[in-house]
Amino acid sequence: MDFDGLSVDQAPPISAPVRFFLTAPLFAVLAGVLILFSDASVLSSRFSTESIVITHAITIGFLSFVMFGALVQMLPVLAGVRVSRVGLVSKISYIFMLFGTLFMIFGLWLNISKLILAAALFLGVGFLALIIPMLLAFKNVVNVTASIRAMITALVFAFLITLIGMHLLASYGIGKFSASHLLFANIHSVWAIFGFAGILIIGVAFHVLPMFYVAPRFKQFCKKRVVWLIVSGLLLWLVLNIFMESYATAAKIWIALFFWAFSTTVYLKLNARRRKVSDVTVWYWRSAAVFMTLGTFAWSINDFFDERYIVIVAILIGGGFIFSIMSGMLYKIVPFLVWFHLNAKGYMSIPTMNDMINKKLAIIQYILFLISLIGFIISFFISALLPLFALTFMASMLILEYNVIGPVLIYMKIIKTKPDFDMSMFTMKVEN
Amino acid sequence: MSTIKEYLTANHGHCDELFANMEDAVANSIESAKEAYEEFAKDTERHFQMEERVMFLEFEQKTGMTQGPTAMMRHEHAQMRNLIAEMGAAIEAKDKDKFFGKSETLMILMQQHNMKEEQMLYTMAQQHLSAESDRIVEMMQSMIVE
Repeated sequence: MDFDGLSVDQAPPISAPVRFFLTAPLFAVLAGVLILFSDASVLSSRFSTESIVITHAITIGFLSFVMFGALVQMLPVLAGVRVSRVGLVSKISYIFMLFGTLFMIFGLWLNISKLILAAALFLGVGFLALIIPMLLAFKNVVNVTASIRAMITALVFAFLITLIGMHLLASYGIGKFSASHLLFANIHSVWAIFGFAGILIIGVAFHVLPMFYVAPRFKQFCKKRVVWLIVSGLLLWLVLNIFMESYATAAKIWIALFFWAFSTTVYLKLNARRRKVSDVTVWYWRSAAVFMTLGTFAWSINDFFDERYIVIVAILIGGGFIFSIMSGMLYKIVPFLVWFHLNAKGYMSIPTMNDMINKKLAIIQYILFLISLIGFIISFFISALLPLFALTFMASMLILEYNVIGPVLIYMKIIKTKPDFDMSMFTMKVEN
Repeated sequence: MSTIKEYLTANHGHCDELFANMEDAVANSIESAKEAYEEFAKDTERHFQMEERVMFLEFEQKTGMTQGPTAMMRHEHAQMRNLIAEMGAAIEAKDKDKFFGKSETLMILMQQHNMKEEQMLYTMAQQHLSAESDRIVEMMQSMIVE
């Protein structure tokens, strides 16, 4: 029995998650800059280089950075397992992901094939350096819950999409595309959105909503079956996509149905929550549920319009659902980590979580984000408006960065002072 | 009778309910929230003591691990007791902002703590103490808070 997750000194150092969290909004700002300098008509095609670059500035630079930061932090708590040498592993992964993402963005944008090849390598190392140790850590789980099954499933999808992603990116690097390039690109994107991010969010929501908002628990049926129903949909979609493409829509509708059901459930559970106090994180969850409902609907019918609206689907699901939830989570997790690590080090007079982030600024950030999302959809039809919403998006992300860096600066200031208590007696190594 | 794990997990849910009531009461009017606060503080203290004075002792005796997970859980209980006391002081001072600052912190700390207990410690306790489960639950139920 490994009890390491229960001890403070075995919790990952604060720097492990926080460096991911502080970098993420900066990539989103960079994405905003790239949107500003792009031609709207080029961005309406999902296979244009500009679209691919901007999508990955968001999906890797923001979403994956936040997800990995959160996984590093939450694995010991949610699953009671510890990634061995988590401090070192997360640092290596971070450095490779950081440079990998930058190489990918600038390599593709400026068409420098060596940089693109380096990006494929760096991103592969960065992702796998965390995914594999995390998957290995799960073999020590004593009590396998629905959340843990979902996390393992999500990481298996993450592993597969990393390999496919490396292959796709390397193809751009050498300038040779296999006959199944488009098929691989489809698998990569659908599995990344629904298999990795989607299932991870569902798994974490099982815990987070009842616990932090005192919402009613999810039904056993939902907890036990929904992940497998989605996985079976994703596998069916793969098979149909390869052998009977014209029927793939059926599998899409199957997957969409369960994500729609999940979104509705989230919304209803938030309505029925016992903890009535409302903050920006509740609003992020709510808008995520609404956008996902629209997104699953748009994705299902998109096939009947020759996939013309895939960019709108991406904005609704990637931006409205996944991005929203990640942003909301940052508002809870960063100030808490600062409080938790200072408290564990013996500091008693720490600003409260509400003192660390200005609530009004958080709401302004949220509203600007919503305006940007809706604006991006409008810009799909009226392209002249795109620069305006690129600017509101950048403003929103700069405020997000300001909001998450604030608590970290408080941490850095307090840690330089002397603690109120000597806590060394509590930092013993727990026996196995 | 419920198992140790079921009993204590359900008790977490009970404390969460009282926590939500207390926040509701403070949001409505901090002047009249004292009762809801005391109800939460009392039952949460009872939960801590059921663990510290009954279940943890049995667990430590059975496994011989006195400096392991139970020590860490006791330490987190101390952190939570501090926050609960500070929330009481904020109610006395009628300082809503301070109260919600503390209650938000307590909520996350408490849920992290509960997850660790439900995920690991209770599961372990149930495995090691399954033969004495009924007796231990009964002792926890009949315990008088000190």
